Amino acid sequence: MADDGVLSLDFLAGFTIFMLALVMVLSMVPGLLAGLESSGIDYDAVAYRTGVILVEDPGWPAYPPWELYDRDNKEEIQRMGLAVSKETPNILLSTKVERFFEESFFTSEDYRSKVIFGDIPYSYNISLRSLDETYNYNTGDPLPPGYGYIRRVVKIKEPGVAEIKSPGPEYVIPDPSAPEWNSTARNFTVRLNFSQLLDPGRGPAYRIDPRTEPVNITITNFGEYRNITGPSVNATLHNVTFWKMDPTRPNPRFTRIPFSYDTIDANLYTLHINGTADQHSLQPDVPVDSSISLVLKPAATSLFTLDQNSILDIRFNFEDDPPRTNITGTHPYDYTNVSHAGLKTAVLEVAIW
Amino acid sequence: MVNDAGQLYTMEGVAAGVIMLLAAYIVVSTTSIYTTGDTHIPDMQLEQLGSDVLAMMDTPDTNGTTSALETFVSTNNGTGFNSTFLSYCNATTRGTLDNLHMSANITYRDANANKINEYPFVAPDNTWTGRESAVRATRWVQLPKLSPKPVGMPGDMRTDPQAVLVEVLLWRA
Repeated sequence: MADDGVLSLDFLAGFTIFMLALVMVLSMVPGLLAGLESSGIDYDAVAYRTGVILVEDPGWPAYPPWELYDRDNKEEIQRMGLAVSKETPNILLSTKVERFFEESFFTSEDYRSKVIFGDIPYSYNISLRSLDETYNYNTGDPLPPGYGYIRRVVKIKEPGVAEIKSPGPEYVIPDPSAPEWNSTARNFTVRLNFSQLLDPGRGPAYRIDPRTEPVNITITNFGEYRNITGPSVNATLHNVTFWKMDPTRPNPRFTRIPFSYDTIDANLYTLHINGTADQHSLQPDVPVDSSISLVLKPAATSLFTLDQNSILDIRFNFEDDPPRTNITGTHPYDYTNVSHAGLKTAVLEVAIW
Repeated sequence: MVNDAGQLYTMEGVAAGVIMLLAAYIVVSTTSIYTTGDTHIPDMQLEQLGSDVLAMMDTPDTNGTTSALETFVSTNNGTGFNSTFLSYCNATTRGTLDNLHMSANITYRDANANKINEYPFVAPDNTWTGRESAVRATRWVQLPKLSPKPVGMPGDMRTDPQAVLVEVLLWRA
């Protein structure tokens, strides 16, 4: 019998093993193609997403805004965005910026879970710098080679200041000897009418919103309000109190807001008198020579349960017998009296690896 | 009669086949090729930056004032536009400057001839060779009545309020 056309068993075994190996390699082809994408793609996408959240989103919760949450309630913050509102992309709010870069408040894990997101624990470096260098913040690790990156150009909105420079006739008692002025108390009020301040006709980038920004009141040249001339007759600032009224209710009237007036808390307010660095409570009982500077933080106004119709009065009460100041009247905290520095151009960079 | 004609030397053949396949697998899987799909990322970053800069130049710093972009276009101030645009574009948080360059055109509608025309607003600088991987960023700008029409604007451009398209080419030198 001829052996033409007969395959040997050895050849069959070898060919089978070869075919099995070939099938195995072919089945790995999708895995082979994965090597064609560069590793930077994912990092760039995460950096872009993080940049979008930071500059185009105001964050969540929106009201009270996330930047007002204290250490005990930090876990309730869902997302940290820096935009003034979702209608104003690239316009950042200074109070959000300052809180975001507070590294003693947020941990690396907070940044990962509230702004970067993703299952992978990415390393990051987020930095912000204004062109005039008044803002220069950085958080995260030093940059290694080969990171995902995005750069965004933004503007930063800062709170305004109501500076009452010198006594206008409406803020001085014309005739202190008149019988209606025989009281020992002198009151000067700064009024915030929320329905005017939060007028939707004004864009969010230029709106005064005491619910999210500090209220700055500075009275300078206070000596010009003196009742009696002389070196030792400075009027005594007895207290500063907050009053509110809701005009939409029947018989609206001002009611005093319960507040810890005797506690100094820089997270709620700061009160400086005569230009010194000393912090005072809202019941200072100190003589005022030159100036009063009050900054009411949004963390405090959020405790006042105010809405878009409320009117908030900040009342400065001076008590002396006989009265040592002729200050009086109500100063509206509005778009005429509050000066703004204007939006500040800045650059925000996000690096992820 | 069995001899070894037409047979593979099995073990050597198998071993050589496995080695070849492994070598091919290792070579292909460790090669990282910068595909055309990846090049859009630097382009996207540059486009986003250009778009941000135009948007911020079109945002007035105070309420009720005119934006820098509108002022530059309505006064035909290409030099000021170039300087402000690049100062925003090249700024980094480390304080060093990036190396971006730009040119700009403005597209408008000639109402008399009912044609769309364009004129150069900022000419490219000497880094421009035509082979750069430039990206484009655009923004519509609403112009007020031009009275009088600034020097250098095309003669067929209208002076009544109109929208023009500012088109910026941006590249890294």
